[in-house]
Amino acid sequence: MIKYILKRCFNYVIMLFIATSMTYFLASAFMDPRSNYMSRHPHPPIASINRSLDLANINDQTPVIVRYGRWLTGIVTRWNWGLSPEQSPINGAIAPRILASVQLVTVATVLSIIFGVSIGVYTAIRQYKWQDRTLNSIATFFLVIPTAVLGLVIVYLAVSMNNGIGQRIFYVTGLHSYSGGNPFAWFLDLLQHLVLPTIVMTIPGTVSYHLTQRTYLLDTMNADYVRTARAKGLPLNKAIRRHALRTSLIPTAVDVAFSIASIFTGAVITETVFAINGLGSYFVQAIGDNDINGSVAIAAFGGVCTLTGALLADIFSAWLDPRIRLS
Amino acid sequence: MSTAAMIPTGLPADPDSAPNSGVDPNTDKPRSDFKRTGRMTLYVRRFFRRPSAVVGLVMLVILLFFALVGSHLTKWAYDQPDFTALSDPPSADHWLGTTTGGSDMYALIIRGLGRSLSIGFISSIAITIIAAFIGTAIAYFEGAVEKVGMWLLDMLLVVPSFLLIALIISGSTGGNDWIWLIFGLTAFGWVGYARTLRTLTLSLREREYIKAAKYMGVPAFRIILRHLIPNLGSVLVINTVLGVVSAVNSETALSFLGLGIKAPDTSLGTLLNNGQSIILTAPWVLLFPSIVLILLTFSVQLIGDGLRDAIDPYSRSAGKAE
Amino acid sequence: MSNAMEATTDRSAFRSTTPSAVTAAPAAPHAATSHEGEAPVLSVRDLNVSFASEAGTVRAVRGMNFDLYRGKTLGIVGESGSGKSVTSMSIMGLLDSNAHVEGSITWHGEELLTKNDLAMSKIRGKGIAMVFQDPLSALTPVFSIGDQIKESLVIHNPHMGERQIRDRSIELLELVGIPEPEERLKSFPYQFSGGMRQRVMIAMAIANDPDVIIADEPTTALDVTIQAQVLDVLKKAQQETGAAVIFITHDLGVIAGIADDIIVMYTGRPVESAPVDDIFAHPAMPYTMGLLGAVPRSDRERSGRLVPIPGSPTNLVDLPKGCPFADRCPLAIDICRQREPNLEAIPGRPGQFAACHRAGEIVEKGLTFSDVYQVSEGVTSKFAGVAREDRAVALDVQGLVKTFPLTAGGFLRRKIGEVHAVDGVNLEIREGETLALVGESGSGKSTTLSEIMSFTKPQAGSVTIFDTPVDDHVARAKRRELRGMVQYIFQDPMSSLDPRLPIYDILAEPLRAQHKSREEIRVRIEELMTLVELNPDQVDRFPTQFSGGQRQRIAIARALAVSPKLLLLDEPVSALDVSIQAGVINLLEDLQNKLGIAYLFVAHNLSVVRHISNRIAVMYLGRIVESGSTAEVFLHPKHPYTQALLSAVPVPDPAIERRRARTVLQGELPSPSETFTGCPFAGRCPLFVSLSKEAQQRCLNERPGLTARADTDPDHLAACHWV
Repeated sequence: MIKYILKRCFNYVIMLFIATSMTYFLASAFMDPRSNYMSRHPHPPIASINRSLDLANINDQTPVIVRYGRWLTGIVTRWNWGLSPEQSPINGAIAPRILASVQLVTVATVLSIIFGVSIGVYTAIRQYKWQDRTLNSIATFFLVIPTAVLGLVIVYLAVSMNNGIGQRIFYVTGLHSYSGGNPFAWFLDLLQHLVLPTIVMTIPGTVSYHLTQRTYLLDTMNADYVRTARAKGLPLNKAIRRHALRTSLIPTAVDVAFSIASIFTGAVITETVFAINGLGSYFVQAIGDNDINGSVAIAAFGGVCTLTGALLADIFSAWLDPRIRLS
Repeated sequence: MSTAAMIPTGLPADPDSAPNSGVDPNTDKPRSDFKRTGRMTLYVRRFFRRPSAVVGLVMLVILLFFALVGSHLTKWAYDQPDFTALSDPPSADHWLGTTTGGSDMYALIIRGLGRSLSIGFISSIAITIIAAFIGTAIAYFEGAVEKVGMWLLDMLLVVPSFLLIALIISGSTGGNDWIWLIFGLTAFGWVGYARTLRTLTLSLREREYIKAAKYMGVPAFRIILRHLIPNLGSVLVINTVLGVVSAVNSETALSFLGLGIKAPDTSLGTLLNNGQSIILTAPWVLLFPSIVLILLTFSVQLIGDGLRDAIDPYSRSAGKAE
Repeated sequence: MSNAMEATTDRSAFRSTTPSAVTAAPAAPHAATSHEGEAPVLSVRDLNVSFASEAGTVRAVRGMNFDLYRGKTLGIVGESGSGKSVTSMSIMGLLDSNAHVEGSITWHGEELLTKNDLAMSKIRGKGIAMVFQDPLSALTPVFSIGDQIKESLVIHNPHMGERQIRDRSIELLELVGIPEPEERLKSFPYQFSGGMRQRVMIAMAIANDPDVIIADEPTTALDVTIQAQVLDVLKKAQQETGAAVIFITHDLGVIAGIADDIIVMYTGRPVESAPVDDIFAHPAMPYTMGLLGAVPRSDRERSGRLVPIPGSPTNLVDLPKGCPFADRCPLAIDICRQREPNLEAIPGRPGQFAACHRAGEIVEKGLTFSDVYQVSEGVTSKFAGVAREDRAVALDVQGLVKTFPLTAGGFLRRKIGEVHAVDGVNLEIREGETLALVGESGSGKSTTLSEIMSFTKPQAGSVTIFDTPVDDHVARAKRRELRGMVQYIFQDPMSSLDPRLPIYDILAEPLRAQHKSREEIRVRIEELMTLVELNPDQVDRFPTQFSGGQRQRIAIARALAVSPKLLLLDEPVSALDVSIQAGVINLLEDLQNKLGIAYLFVAHNLSVVRHISNRIAVMYLGRIVESGSTAEVFLHPKHPYTQALLSAVPVPDPAIERRRARTVLQGELPSPSETFTGCPFAGRCPLFVSLSKEAQQRCLNERPGLTARADTDPDHLAACHWV
């Protein structure tokens, strides 16, 4: 089992390395930091532009493979992810933002899995009954709403509510506004800020886990071994819960791993809507600034998130499935 | 052929069925002891049995109608602002109001709807084609090809595709950015789907008709094209339809962030971006594009669900015994 | 008596039957005969089950009646779609929710059909237990065997202590013959073979001493040697619990050995019922006769052509007005097409009931199978009169070896051993003859076939097709020519024909691969359809529009398209219903005789093999252990494995089944990754245990070669030191 996990880890590190390197080449090919300077009127002297670009190791006149070599050396030897076109270090910009994003993403992911899987199981057992139909319609509706629309609608409702009550219950921008020393007030303030973005990020996750978990369970519900369990004397509901559920959780675990990427996407939009200074908004800014090093660093972080999810899925399915665990 | 089975000599029992030249599909006599319903009829019947699917279809047809001819119904064009009416609420003149810059919301939405629809459908179809070929080929060739192929697919999924699409289209400028968007959505959107199709092909490739074709010496490409892909047909149709929803959503997200369609062109996501800052002063700028977006994605989703139920043999929409 | 029968089985009376009417009338066939005074454990009255489907209502079971008594076994026989499994599932209350059930099922007088799922679950597993067909999917993959047995116990005995549970579980596993039960409790289903899993299923079924055990095709998915073991376990379980057993099967041989009474079902209806000896000795319903007559027998020498029941089973949606068998029945007269006959007692045959308008006549005149069905004339072989030695060798396989690497999970997947799937196999087939390759699953039969079909140089040994040795350097054109000479027929025509292609395209595929012109293809397809006795006008239909037998004919036509000289047939009739099988076997024989094709016929059904093949090769763990002419090997099997294999085949004759002393092989096929210096069969060999120490050493250390004994037929070879 430990050997299996180690093997997966090793594989993931190689994957991450290649994926990040590819992103670096892609970003270098498509992003044009020189245009930042050339679009100014009048543009600075070419020599000084080249100097600034060279300093950040993003000069398109240097062969890309050379730049890649320097970039990689910097990361491997000094854990230095490079400079933005404005010469500010990427490391310093990213570190604090990761905290904000991870906070948001983790809470939302955990909540979506809990709600989504529970509702999925609940509806699968009641297939085609009114509870199933109602919840499915609601889920289908929320599934298709773009995150941006959902976020903006919730902001609109919250602001209207605040106005209606005449008191600020929900904050729609940032993560903190309390600056006192009372830890209780600090926590309450955090909650007031966190609740809306978390809702926006939890809903899409919940409905998609709900629908997929329902499908997986329906697939395994008709399996021969569930029939065997019923023939042994388990009532239908118990047979499903004991025998079908466990096997149906394995594909869900894999889904969770691969949906980390989409949660990240959701975070980008949510952070924009709620003006949260996280990785998402940093990414939008980096793209706008033609910040090659910054974008690649974020892509690498996204990759780490995906692979962490994948590893958790591996562990979880090995725990659920003896065929993986024992071989 | 109940009589023929008795005749051992290998000659047809029925003189009518003796070799005649040519094969005419119209001489097909229905077997008296066999009652069947054509597959297509069955699908259509089951699809229309679902009210939600029909509602979705009607909604989509209406949206398509507006996207195609809607721009001729108004005197305003999306790129010609009316400077006499800035931030006007909906009125008889500007049906859905105007933006802060005086652009007619109706004209903008029609334009944006057209963009969203074309981006959604084109990229979804392109994704299906690429994913179908790569997914089935990886599964078909088995062995080393499959191992390496799967590893590569997994590797391509490591970095969230959303970020990569944003990278690619960051350099594009207004006008051709929607083409870049389609390119980006397609180039990075097929991977996960190909992975799913490969899983589905795993059971298909063990079917004996695939082996039979191999044993007959049919070339690999032909087997993929004639046997594997057609037998995934229903899955491909359903997922192409549902893929439209996710393509529209991705487009909206990118444009909303200012990374997708940029002025002077417009899309529903771009309109949301415009409306975001004036949510309280001019809510119609946000409201109407949102409604159209929801109608669009919801109708396509309903159609997709309807198709799934109609095509899926395990569907229990068969009804109760009398 | 017959009036009472009529009252309850009359279709107009279905819905009005009341329990009192049932108890008043001895409606169930067996009530009157052997169980006077004893109350049945289970009674089924006027059971009708229908399902909704797109095409209409499927009437899966119509008018099923029977009584089940303690310690007795009721066999329900029928082909697919006859309603036998639906009957068992309605007793268990496990039908899908779209099923509509009418009638009455009482267990110790308690009505079961009105019970809800919760009430039924108290009875399931305790009063009535069930063993399902496919042991591979019937056990939950993620729970250990111990947990699953424990569950069966705990559900009905919530207060059982850990110790008790463990003791009882071990006791149960010992009862069903699983070695080292204590260790095995911790194993997971994937670590068990099919036969072992079926034993576990039986252990779970008898865990709570049920008084009814329903076994639904419990041995169909198993090899014949394992089938014999499992049937023994089932009999033992019945003795142990004293339960009544409902044994559902399509296999007349199996039922002959295990059942006391038999009900034959056709299109959802019981058409004949009688004590087992009567059914086999003098069936009264033409369908039963056809079923019994259409199967070849492994215990008799080939006596001529098989006689198929014409046509294919009727669709359950659109049942005809009269007898559903009328269309296929050689004796059908007008009344048969007008009115459906009731299951009625046959005068002068106590205990025997038949649903046939002409049953009386049949019994009176003593009509038998050969009177009812006409035996047709076969085709004389193209090579009749040509000595075997004078015919060309179609396929010559010498010392064929195929190994699969066995890898260990690790970073580099290093190779830790080899699986010898095919280990030095020699085969020779001449024109116009059939060589049967038999053996249990895992013996390497299919690998041998796919090695021949791969047209690449084997790892070791040689494959020669009509004097052309196959190796990697064969030119493209030559390889195509070889492909044209050798074709393949698969087991399941459902799966070997692409459902998305019309028949025309399916038949055109091999011709296109041979670069034939459009015109050639068109002409050839028409010939082919005629050749396999199908209507050429139907080429625009899709495979699903044909019945199983017709589909296999299409598959045969496809294989013949390029006029091959050699056909490899992988279980070509085992997926077909018994009544259809005979027709396809006859077709294969006729085609061989007419076209002079050589067949390499892989099958596990030894009765079919005995009927169709001229020569036979018995495979065990990748090696040929015995070969020779079919007649000789069946009459005088030399190798202990062949002897055991033949003795395990059930014979559709209850009298013979009761007398037979069966060599039941111990254990299962060892894992192919094991390596043997000596004889691989030694571990299971019934002869081995009777040998002296020195002799045993020889078996273990020296690999026996395939040799003939000096004093017998030089063609009959066996790989055993002691024959």
